[in-house]
Amino acid sequence: MGANLLANYGEAVAMILFGIGFGNLLLQSNLIKKIIGLNIMDTAIYLFLAEKGFIAGREAPIIVDGIQDMEAYINPIPSGLVLTGIVVSVSVSALMLSITIRLYRRYHTLDLDEISIRLKKEGL
Amino acid sequence: MDFVQSFPAISILLCLFAGIISSGLKGKAARYMNTVLILTVTVLSACTLLYTLGTGESYVYVMGKFPAPWGNEIRVGVLESFMALFFCIIMLLSLFGGMKKLTEEVEEGKVFLYYVLTNLLLSSLLALIYTNDLFTAYVFVEINTIAACGLIMIRQNGRTIEAAARYMIMSLLGSGMLLMGICMLYDLTGHLLMSNISEQVALLAASGEYRIPLLVTIALMSVGLAIKSALFPFHAWLPDAYGYSTVSSAAILSSLVSKGYIFLLIKIIYRVIGFEIFDNSRIIDVLFVFGLMGMIFGSLSAIKENDIRRMIAYSSVAQIGYIYMGIGMGTAAGMSASVFHILSHAATKSLLFIAAIGLTDVSGGSRKFVDLTGAAYRNKWAGVAFTVGSLSMVGVPLFSGFISKLLFAQAAVQNNGKMLPALIVLGISTILNAIYFMKTVIRIYTPANGTGSCVTFRSMKLYAVTLVCFIVLNIILGVSSQPVVDLIEQGLAMFS
Amino acid sequence: MQYIILAIFFPIAAGLYLLIRKESENRKNLLLCTGAFLIISAVLVVIALFLAGGRMYTLFSLTDKLPIIFKIDEISVLFSVMTIIIFLCAGFFSFEYMKHEEKEKRYYGFYLMVLGVLIALCFAGNLITFYLFFEMLTLSSMPLVLHNGSREAIMAGLKYLFYSLCGAYMALFGLYFVERYGNTLTFSAGGVISEQAASAHGGILLLVAFLMLLGFGVKAGMFPMHAWLPAAHPVAPAPASAVLSAVIVKAGVLAIIRVVYYIFGSSFLKGTWVQTTWMILILLTIFMGSMLAYREPVMKKRLAYSTISQLSYILFGLAVMDAGSVTGGLLHVLCHGFIKAALFLCAGAIIYMTGKTRVEEFRGIGKEMPLLLWCYTIVSLGLIGIPPTGGFISKWYLAQGALSSGIPVFDWLGPVILLVSALLTAGYLLPVTIKGFFPGADYDYNSLRKKEPPALMTIPVLILTILSVAIGLFPGTVVQYLSQMIEKII
Repeated sequence: MGANLLANYGEAVAMILFGIGFGNLLLQSNLIKKIIGLNIMDTAIYLFLAEKGFIAGREAPIIVDGIQDMEAYINPIPSGLVLTGIVVSVSVSALMLSITIRLYRRYHTLDLDEISIRLKKEGL
Repeated sequence: MDFVQSFPAISILLCLFAGIISSGLKGKAARYMNTVLILTVTVLSACTLLYTLGTGESYVYVMGKFPAPWGNEIRVGVLESFMALFFCIIMLLSLFGGMKKLTEEVEEGKVFLYYVLTNLLLSSLLALIYTNDLFTAYVFVEINTIAACGLIMIRQNGRTIEAAARYMIMSLLGSGMLLMGICMLYDLTGHLLMSNISEQVALLAASGEYRIPLLVTIALMSVGLAIKSALFPFHAWLPDAYGYSTVSSAAILSSLVSKGYIFLLIKIIYRVIGFEIFDNSRIIDVLFVFGLMGMIFGSLSAIKENDIRRMIAYSSVAQIGYIYMGIGMGTAAGMSASVFHILSHAATKSLLFIAAIGLTDVSGGSRKFVDLTGAAYRNKWAGVAFTVGSLSMVGVPLFSGFISKLLFAQAAVQNNGKMLPALIVLGISTILNAIYFMKTVIRIYTPANGTGSCVTFRSMKLYAVTLVCFIVLNIILGVSSQPVVDLIEQGLAMFS
Repeated sequence: MQYIILAIFFPIAAGLYLLIRKESENRKNLLLCTGAFLIISAVLVVIALFLAGGRMYTLFSLTDKLPIIFKIDEISVLFSVMTIIIFLCAGFFSFEYMKHEEKEKRYYGFYLMVLGVLIALCFAGNLITFYLFFEMLTLSSMPLVLHNGSREAIMAGLKYLFYSLCGAYMALFGLYFVERYGNTLTFSAGGVISEQAASAHGGILLLVAFLMLLGFGVKAGMFPMHAWLPAAHPVAPAPASAVLSAVIVKAGVLAIIRVVYYIFGSSFLKGTWVQTTWMILILLTIFMGSMLAYREPVMKKRLAYSTISQLSYILFGLAVMDAGSVTGGLLHVLCHGFIKAALFLCAGAIIYMTGKTRVEEFRGIGKEMPLLLWCYTIVSLGLIGIPPTGGFISKWYLAQGALSSGIPVFDWLGPVILLVSALLTAGYLLPVTIKGFFPGADYDYNSLRKKEPPALMTIPVLILTILSVAIGLFPGTVVQYLSQMIEKII
């Protein structure tokens, strides 16, 4: 168990980061901190993927110098997934930030619970 | 290869392009385009359905040049095409029913955006239904979330923005877990295509290796999708999001978006993890228990609610609980009951939302029960439609709700371990449903002292026709359910 | 086929037509329509009974295993004839009575729909059809309870709805199991549970049978789920109370007959804990209903409590599962139907003419409307069970059946409780007669004015009275008909 953990320290770190990000996204009441949590969570997943795709001693899967041998490169799929994932998480973060801006303009606070209380008072 | 086989791919791409094109159009043109698009997709899906029914087996359509296991695939069976067809119909009807309200509630210059978002939503729903690739599924889950968030926010007031924020947060938690699950599964099996993964998972399970990681993966994916589809106790965002967004959005969100996720989960259960392995994991019991709790607590919250739209929203929580209870039953019968309930709930809940808006409109825009007194006399069509929807929800025979309850109960009777809790909770929940829906029906049919204005058929032709379509759909599902159930069973058989 | 469909769906369609037709000032028109519809429905039912008896008709299938089936057998004949007679009488009565109520159109619309649903219940050929129309019955009869729209009525209506839905769900619960373990859901004399299933799953099937009895028993006002009945029946307009109390509750009885004799079979249930527990509940209900009626000052409520107790007479006959007692029970279905309808119509006529609702206000009422009170007295005697009225014959068979059944304890306890309850019945019904005819020395005869209600009210009451007496005078044919049928099911 301990040996496994040591050998796969990258994955372990990714998991811990995932937990931190998840917790922040779930528990923080400040919207910006939530978004930071979201980004930590997503990054942790990319770290996990990158760690999984990495094979020690090999190159990034970009063909240079005409070497077509499979043994020379790392697995390209995780890298592709990470790239796609980054695109998704960027757009989601942008959307979240825009919502945050709107809420801030209306209520002059970033605290989601505070906003809920005010909404109840408004009685909409 | 037949030309028909490419229809699903064509419809997904059509929706995406329509989304792009309509962002350059004016409101009305975008609306026409959207209607034409949905009709086209309906026809295409119907053709696919007929084709798959004709051949009697599912087929795989390779996107691009790379074959499996590298390329991206679409897989089409009876159930997939039927779902696509049904979702298109519901979406079209929901949009028609809320069209008038949409023009009132959304700024003139932003109406076209609504149709951009619905086009995107439809494309992502279709992709979720058809795709055979897990990572593609994840990407479209996110597109779906973003589009749904837009649908909530398009009506600008504090409530909807807050609801959208809450919706996004919960959804992101869910998709984070889903993505993590997918990555771990990729790590375990080395594949992303559903069919390849399932072979590998079967091997893994047989060898007994990586038991715990596999369990964690299953848990991550099911819980992630459960969060996204607002299973109790992850439903906190739901009443605000459904209750305050414009009515078409509420109908689409409750009947399509959450159902799309559930359909994806069912696909994952059958096509990725394998029904047997899922059944043997303890996750299924967790889903079952949360489903049961949702059935009761959703209804209890609905009873306490004093606002008709929020009441219907809370009722969705209970209905989602039903679906998860069926999934949690761990039998083929339970699963097909769940799929049938997806259909029947989609048909009923959007009907209720749209009928409710007709009732509140003639009550001075107020959604409080006190003001709704006698609303059914002021808007007869909405009154009848709301009554039909309520009866269906309560589970009165001849309406779709009864058949789904019947199927759930039949499934429960076959499962000895879960029979008693399922039947008892089903009973309690039926009675709770009756309490709040019948209370509302009696309220809207209690004569009031002449407040509010009456509406005539002439002023709401489209609305009335939509309601009639919904009612007919509901009764069709309730009266001649056997073909639909057969279809579902055939489709589920094709999954494995 | 078409006769049955017509008999069932004509009243429902007519009711819907009345509901959606324009509110017209012309009351006569509405009454003509309703009257014509009622008579046509009655004729259609009779035609269906003669031409379509004995065969099975499938209307359509909900799912493969759940077809909607109609079949006319002897039980259907019994119940449908009673239904149609009482509906005609109460219907014509309401033409006069409803003058002082609002929203007549809605009332008649739902009245006709209830009639159609009841006919469908009588003709239902399997459990799922029965369940379907059982739910419809609750929903279509609820507007009758809600009619005056007061807060009290709405609360009563909600109470009615929840009790009925709870009951129906319990019954539905049973349906799932019967579908799984039974051969079929179709009603067939002697039951559908095969011996294999009975021995393999006996325990659970008994539990299910008990639940179904409890569930359908809700409609029949059986303890412990009777509380809706005294709340819901009195708030409806009097003719509606009459059909609620005389016919609609009989749907619960019909359901129990179907469940006991056509689904589970008396041989399966006889001598089990289900029968014992059920009998205890029934005897409790009989006693409690009479007791509560005895203490109740408001006339219509008193009659509602009386319904609870009298219905359990019928159930007692069914629970004993002896040929004699079942004959008695089924006879009491007819007697109680006619008598209770007549009683409610009398109470309605009194309310209509004088506005009095409480028993102590009824002093001297016999002087004002002697004919009506004579009818009341005769049917009361019938309900108490004094010869030569129908009530006597039915109770005779009930007691005899119980005594000869050989069930320990209950073979003597049952008749004793029937007797005690009969005394109580006399105690709560006859004071009206006594106060009405003998108002006492201080009664002011000078202010006395004849207030006999109009013919449209008296004649239905008279017809029902005559019928209830006629059963007592000439029970031969009915008893013969019943015993032929009972031979098949026991």
